[in-house]
Amino acid sequence: MNFAMVSRLILKDWYLQRWTLLSALAAGVVTLGIIATGSKAAFMLGVILLVTVIIAFGAMIATSTLIEERKQQTLSFVMSLPISYREYTASKILGNLLIYLVPWLPLVLGSIALLMLSPKSQGLIPFTAIMSVEMMVGTCMVVAVALISESQGWTIGAIMVGNLALNGIGYWVAHIPSIAKGLEGSSIQWTPAASMLLLGEFAAIVLLLGFTFFCQSRKRDFL
Amino acid sequence: MNELAVHFEGVSKKYPHFLLNDINLELPAGTIMGFIGANGAGKSTTIRILMGLVHQDQGAVHVLGHRMPAQQAAAKMDIGFVSEDMRLYGSPTLAWHMEFLRAIYPQWDQPYAESLLQRFDLKPQQKIKGLSHGQRVKAALLLALAHRPRLLVLDEPTTGLDPVARQEVLGELTAILANEETTILFSSHNTLDVEQISDQITFIDRGRIIASDGKEVFLDRWRRLRLLLPPDGVLPRLPGIIEVGGSERLPVLVTDSFEPAMLSAYSDTGATVQAVDRMTLEEIFVANVHSRREVQTV
Repeated sequence: MNFAMVSRLILKDWYLQRWTLLSALAAGVVTLGIIATGSKAAFMLGVILLVTVIIAFGAMIATSTLIEERKQQTLSFVMSLPISYREYTASKILGNLLIYLVPWLPLVLGSIALLMLSPKSQGLIPFTAIMSVEMMVGTCMVVAVALISESQGWTIGAIMVGNLALNGIGYWVAHIPSIAKGLEGSSIQWTPAASMLLLGEFAAIVLLLGFTFFCQSRKRDFL
Repeated sequence: MNELAVHFEGVSKKYPHFLLNDINLELPAGTIMGFIGANGAGKSTTIRILMGLVHQDQGAVHVLGHRMPAQQAAAKMDIGFVSEDMRLYGSPTLAWHMEFLRAIYPQWDQPYAESLLQRFDLKPQQKIKGLSHGQRVKAALLLALAHRPRLLVLDEPTTGLDPVARQEVLGELTAILANEETTILFSSHNTLDVEQISDQITFIDRGRIIASDGKEVFLDRWRRLRLLLPPDGVLPRLPGIIEVGGSERLPVLVTDSFEPAMLSAYSDTGATVQAVDRMTLEEIFVANVHSRREVQTV
């Protein structure tokens, strides 16, 4: 694996996505500001907007770096460079993850910091952490589907499934007794169930990305 | 014997509605090969296999000594590629693309890139999306040439260009390549473009290579003969005649192995040779395709 070449391809996508990235970061900061105002209505509105920003950003970078590259016929240009399929796949997976992490990490940490500053809401922190990582699982799924299927239709389907799954999983997690008990609490109650869920989500990310590498390595035709 | 820049041995690739069948192709280093075929003949599939982007079902492909597709990254370090369906990124400038490739290719030749900018009349600070189609083709050519590739693969680069832009691109390409030792594979369905710059010609039709030889060999060997037969005269069957048209008394023959002795052979049977016409590469290609298709159907 030529890591220097993978890095250059990631930097290329980074450059091409810079305005989308900055916009997501700015929109996220505004939503954190809304949450910070303190009222219940502002809190609800802020959370909905924040989740929307993070999910939309993941979907946008996956579609523009993978599907659009194929649709705009710039993939031929990229594949004419001295790279292999494996290096292309590695650059896309790592690139998407890194670009996604740039707004995801500060926004998630910002949300947790706001909850920490509000003594009454600290019980929400485990749930927030689980759902934040779930959003990352959804983005990894979209990246995997976009890379493997090379299809806009399947990718849009994956975005929809990811979005629906987030709602379903959120509802399910909030009703796990050990987690539900701590939601209204004023202190962090980190339960074994919460840890297992987080571990499961990280395992899902590793499996998804590993499966993507496996499928890509078996592809015989790239254009 | 020259080193081979490209070597296809028994390469096949099957799609649901198309078969690239038993392709054998040799491109010696330093030659310029015109790769001619109708739309859908298999040119782009062959080129994608050459670039390692499509994996052949059978056969072996070596490009610049590298086995494809396994060693495509090493091979592509010395390949410049411009394709009809290849686009550069719209929002960044040409200068950004140049900088991007400069970081990738250690052999990038910046003074040469700058001379190409002038020759192609391109402005580096212009965004790609603001360029005309002709300018985009020139920009892609610049990027492909400036890293000094040993092999230049041009897949229908002149398609969609207006006649002026096409001549500009071909003219510049001819001028640039006059003093180069780059091996070139130039694919097109436009025989005039290919004839202008190539010294080797390969015809492909329906997924098969039907002929491959030097351009001058094609132009020297192929002739159209117009004869006048005497009343009740019978056209003698001579070897090398691949097409017979015209009327019974005024036959028009096409040969792929013309020799002056052919004319005396016809005169000896009482026929009058009215004209011996040289054929254009397009006429040779069309006659070649027709005769091969007839052979296939028989």
